This record gives sequence, C-alpha cells and structure tokens, in this order.
Amino acid sequence: MPKVLFLALLAASAAAAAATPQEMINEYAAAAARQSPGFQPSAKRGAEFYAKRFAVSDKMPACTSCHTESPAQAGRHAVTGKAIKPLAPRAEAARFTDAAKTEKWFRRNCSEVVGRECTAAEKADFILFLTEGK
Amino acid sequence: MMKKILVWDLPVRLGHWLMAGGFALAWATGDSESWRLVHVFAGGTVTAVALFRLLWGIFGSKHARFTSFVRGPQQALAYLKSLLRFSPRHYAGHNPAGGLAILLLLVLALASGASGWLTYQEMGGEWLEELHEFATGLMLAVVFVHIAGVLVGSLVHRENLPLAMITGLKRGEPGEAISGQRRFAAVLLIGWAVAAAWWLAR
Repeated sequence: MPKVLFLALLAASAAAAAATPQEMINEYAAAAARQSPGFQPSAKRGAEFYAKRFAVSDKMPACTSCHTESPAQAGRHAVTGKAIKPLAPRAEAARFTDAAKTEKWFRRNCSEVVGRECTAAEKADFILFLTEGK
Repeated sequence: MMKKILVWDLPVRLGHWLMAGGFALAWATGDSESWRLVHVFAGGTVTAVALFRLLWGIFGSKHARFTSFVRGPQQALAYLKSLLRFSPRHYAGHNPAGGLAILLLLVLALASGASGWLTYQEMGGEWLEELHEFATGLMLAVVFVHIAGVLVGSLVHRENLPLAMITGLKRGEPGEAISGQRRFAAVLLIGWAVAAAWWLAR
C-alpha cells in the first residue's frame, strides 16, 4: 500500500512538473510515431486542424470560435463572452507548460469541438503550430 | 399512536430538491463550454440554497434546526450500527448519520460554489480550479453515500424516506410535528435562489 501511494505521488508530481511546449511536442510525436513509424509533426497540418470547421457543436464549430483566426491574439468565449488569453505560447508564455493541464483541456475541448478524442499526432501538430506559427 | 405527522417544512423540501437538481445539472455540464452558463446557473442555485439553509438551520422549524440534528460522529456511528442490526432507533426528524451528511454536503457545496465562482471570475489561480473539482468530486461521493443511506433506512424503517422529502410527512408522535409549512419562507427561498444564481452567472 505505501508503495502504491508513493508511486501515485510520484506520478502526480511528474504530471504537475513544469514542461515546455517543445517537450510536449516531442512526447506526443513519439507516441504518434509508435502508431505510424516515421511520423514527423507538421505546423501546416496543425494550422489546418486549428482552422477546420468540425461543426459538431453549434456554438463552437471550430477552435477559432473562441480562440479567433489567430491563436496569438486574445480570444473570446463564444457563450459567456469572457476574455481568453492567447493560446499560442509565443504570445502567452504560460501556455503548454503543464502536461496535466494540457491533457485536461485536450480531453474537454476535443470531445466538444472535434466530437472525439484527439490523436497524439494531432496534438503534436497542434502545439507545433501554436509554437511556431504556420 | 405513531401517526403521519408533518416534519419537513416547505423550504426544507424545496431546498433539498433544488439542490439535488442543481447539483445533477451542474455535474452533467461541468466539462462543457457550450453549457458553461447553465453550469454556472445550476451551481449558483446549489450555492444559494446552501447559504439559505445555514440561516434556516437557525430560524427554521424544529426539525430543520441544526440543534435538532447535529449530533457528532459517535452518535452517527451508533445509529449506523443499530441500522446494521436491523433495530435502528427511529427519529421523527433527521437521524444522526443523515445530519452528518447534511453538514458535509453544505460545507462542500459552499466550498465548491465559492471556488467555482472565483474561477469563473478569474479571480483565483489554478489551485481554486483544482479545489473546485476536488470539492465537487467529494460532494458526489457524499451524495452517493447519502442515497445509499436513504435506501437502507427506508427498507429497515419500512418508511419511504424520498417520498417523505416530497410530502413532508413522516411517522412520529403528534407532539413532534411542526406547526406549519412555512410557505412565506419558501417563496423567499425561490426568489433568493433565482436572484443569487442569476447574479453569480453574470
């Protein structure tokens, strides 16, 4: 029991440990490469994904519904009207620095906007696009 | 001689179901951004009812008052043991275990409401969001224990306790009955809950 607890704590602290966008891209890319060998993340694919109208949700058909056409700009919540800080790390340094938080928001927003879980490949492309731009 | 008597006044019953419905709705919409306003309104209702309940625990009718049902963990444990022996002591109002569940749910509802509202207003850090999720998860666990307790209690006492929370009537001595429904306070509760939830969801 103490061992399990220790491992759980270790996992929790590892998940909460600070990370960089680049580390997240590398991890998602490595996971994607296990599925399809030779996978390389692409900012261009990330940009297409970001701009795509999934149209699963009426109020939030695309990422751009809240985060605007340019992720380096401040966004606006499509329902509450509240301001959203820029999603791109190049504009908002705190973005993609906590792996657990990143996973949490991919889980929530992918299921609502994309209508399913996002793949590791999509996540790698997405963060690369947000980091570098197109 | 054990007749059906009125034990739960209208604000207690209405507050109970507003809280239950609000919690279920808030839980169901918690992860969704499209439903964010519904989530905040539902959570605001739960919070408003919890705040009202604190005052009603002081000024409410007999069985609604904290002094009538807050008993401490030892008596709650003794009651749960008597329940397992199928010879529980019958309380006209809340039993000691139920009283404990009420306190826990009120504290968690207020913690969840406060941390949720501060998060919504972006006045707190990440930790408030974590606290909101933790308090709500714990609250769901207490809700399940509460429901299990109500089901077991209903069977062992041979008394439909969920129905009693609708009609207000339970088995008891005539002297334990409350004198009226407290309709005016119930209207106040509804007005307060709607106004507070609306204000919180602004």
